[in-house]
Amino acid sequence: MTRLRLLRGEIRKLTTTKLPWGFLGVLIAIAGLNASIVAFGTDTDGSKAFVATAGDQQSLLAFAFNALLGTALFGAIAAAREYGHGTVVPTFLTSPNRTRAVLAQLAAVLLAGAALGLIGQTLMIAAVAVALQTTQYAFLVSAGHVIQLLAASAVAGAIGAVLGAGLGMVIRNTGGAVTTAVLVVFLAPPLVVQLVSAAASWIPTALLAVLSGVSSDVSIWAALLAVAAWALVPAAAGLVAVQRRDVA
Amino acid sequence: MRTQSITVSEPLRRAAPEGNQTMYPLQIEHLTKRYGHDVVVDDLTFTVPPGRVTCFLGPNGAGKSTTMKILLDLARADHGHATIGGTRYREMADPARTVGVALEPNAFHPGRSGRNHLRVLTDGAGIAPARIDQTLEMVGLTHAADRHVGGYSLGMRQRLGLAAALLGDPPVLVLDEPGNGLDPQGIRWLRDLLRERAAAGGTVFVSTHLLSEVEHLADEVVVLSHGQLVATGALATLQHAGTSVRTSDPERLTQLLTSAGATVRAGTDGDLVVRGVGIVEIGDRACSAGIALHELSPQAGSLEELFLDWTAATTPTTDVPTTDDTAGNGTTITGAGTVDVADAERQALPL
Repeated sequence: MTRLRLLRGEIRKLTTTKLPWGFLGVLIAIAGLNASIVAFGTDTDGSKAFVATAGDQQSLLAFAFNALLGTALFGAIAAAREYGHGTVVPTFLTSPNRTRAVLAQLAAVLLAGAALGLIGQTLMIAAVAVALQTTQYAFLVSAGHVIQLLAASAVAGAIGAVLGAGLGMVIRNTGGAVTTAVLVVFLAPPLVVQLVSAAASWIPTALLAVLSGVSSDVSIWAALLAVAAWALVPAAAGLVAVQRRDVA
Repeated sequence: MRTQSITVSEPLRRAAPEGNQTMYPLQIEHLTKRYGHDVVVDDLTFTVPPGRVTCFLGPNGAGKSTTMKILLDLARADHGHATIGGTRYREMADPARTVGVALEPNAFHPGRSGRNHLRVLTDGAGIAPARIDQTLEMVGLTHAADRHVGGYSLGMRQRLGLAAALLGDPPVLVLDEPGNGLDPQGIRWLRDLLRERAAAGGTVFVSTHLLSEVEHLADEVVVLSHGQLVATGALATLQHAGTSVRTSDPERLTQLLTSAGATVRAGTDGDLVVRGVGIVEIGDRACSAGIALHELSPQAGSLEELFLDWTAATTPTTDVPTTDDTAGNGTTITGAGTVDVADAERQALPL
C-alpha cells in the first residue's frame, strides 16, 4: 500500500510540471519530420524507393532508439531536478526508507518513459501512414509488426527513462546528468565497438533494432535482457548513491 | 576547546492534554557530525519537551539545520543519535502524520502550482485530499493555490511550506526559520498557531534568527555555537540567570572570573554582568582573592544580550575539569564547562 502511495505521488510529480508536455512536443516534431521526409524526400535517383517495401517502411518507422535517447534525457532531468529543487526532501520525509522512495521514483519514470515511447511510436506510425497517402505506396507494415514496433518503443522508453533517472540520481546536476545520458546512450556505444568489435551486437542501437524486428543479430529475449542491463547498472548506482548521501 | 554550556530544567508548565494523546519529546544524544575535518555538530545532547515551544538559536553555521536534518534522517550522524518520541525518524510507522517539517523555503518546483505541490504530498503520504484546501485556507494561500510556485514571494513560499508541514495534522512540528519573509500578520498568525499546537500537547521545535520573536514565542531555548550546546532551558529562567557585581577592582575580578569560565561584560550602570558562574562561586572567589564586592545580585538580561554572551562564550581555553560544590545545589561544572542542573533542583542558575 505504501509503495502504491509513493508511486502515485511520484507520478503526480511528473505530471504536474511541463516536462512531459515538452517531451510530447518533441515527439510530435519528430513524427512531423518523418512524415515530411516520406512526403517530400526522395532517394538519390528521385524515386521513393526508401518506402517501397514493408521492410523499408518498418525500418523507417523503428522509433525505439529515439525513444531510448529521448526518455534517457527525460529520466535524467526528472531525477536530477529533484535534488536541484530540493523536492526530494519531502519524498524522503514521507518515506524515510530511501530504497522504497527511490524504487517509487524509478517505477514512475519507467511508466512515464514507456508511455512516451508508446506515444512517440504511435505518432510516428500515424504520421508516416498519412504521409504515404501522398506517394504511390500504401502502408505495407503488417499489424503484427506494428505491434512489435509499439512494444519495442514502449520497452525502449521505459529502459531509457530508468537509465537516465539512475544517472540523475548519481550526478544530481541536471546539465551534468543530461550530458552523461547523451554520452552513455549515443557516444559511448560506438567507442566501445571500436575497442571491442564483438560488442557491436550488444549496443543499444543494435539491440533495439532486434526488438523492433528490423534485425536478428541476437534473439529477442537476449536483446531484451541486454538492453535492460544498460539501464540496471545506472539505476543500481543511483540507488546506492542515494542511500549513502546526506540530503542538502 | 572549552565551552560554556548551561542547562536549566524546570517542570513542564502545561499539563499533558486530556485524553490519550501520545507525547513526542525530541531527544538529541551525543550527536556529532563532521564534514571532512570540520566538526559542524559536536557531541550535542538536549531534549525538546512536548507541550512547549522550543526555539533553536545560534549564529549562522552553528549547526542548527544540520541537527534538524539528522533528527529527520536527511543526514547521517557520525556519532550519537536523535529520536522523536523514542523512535528514530526512519523507523516511524507514519512519519507524515507524526512530524510536520518545513526546512527550505525554496524546496519547490517553480513550475508546479502550490496546490499540486500539496497533492504530491497527500498522494505520497496517503493523506485525504480534503486536507489540501483546509491547510491552504489555514495559511492564507487559497487565492494563490493554482499559481506556479516560481511566482510566489518568499512569504508565500514560507506559507506553502507551513501548509505542507500541517497536512498530516502532526503532533510534532520541526520548522527551520519559518518566520523568514512573513509579514507582521503572518508572524503573528504563526506565533498563535505554534502556541496553540504546544498548548494541545504538541512538540514544537523552531529554529529562528528573530530574537524579538523568540521572546514572544519561546517557552524553551536551545542555543548552539560552533556546533556545541551553549545554553538550554526555560527562556524565562535563563533570562534571569545572570549576576550583577559591583567592585572597586573590576579588572582583577574580570580576570579571575573569566579564568573560572565565566562570561563577564560591563553592565550599563558601572557594574559587571557575569554569566556562567554561580552567584555563590562569584562571592567565594572574590573573597579568596581579597577583592571587595559592593553589590552581588541576580540580574535579568535581554535575549539579545544573552545570545551574544552565549555565542561569544565558546572561546578555547586550556582549563582542566573542575567540580564545583560551592553552589550547594548539585550543580556540576566539568572540564567542558558543562553546567547541568538536575531536574529535581529546578532553580535558576546564574550564568
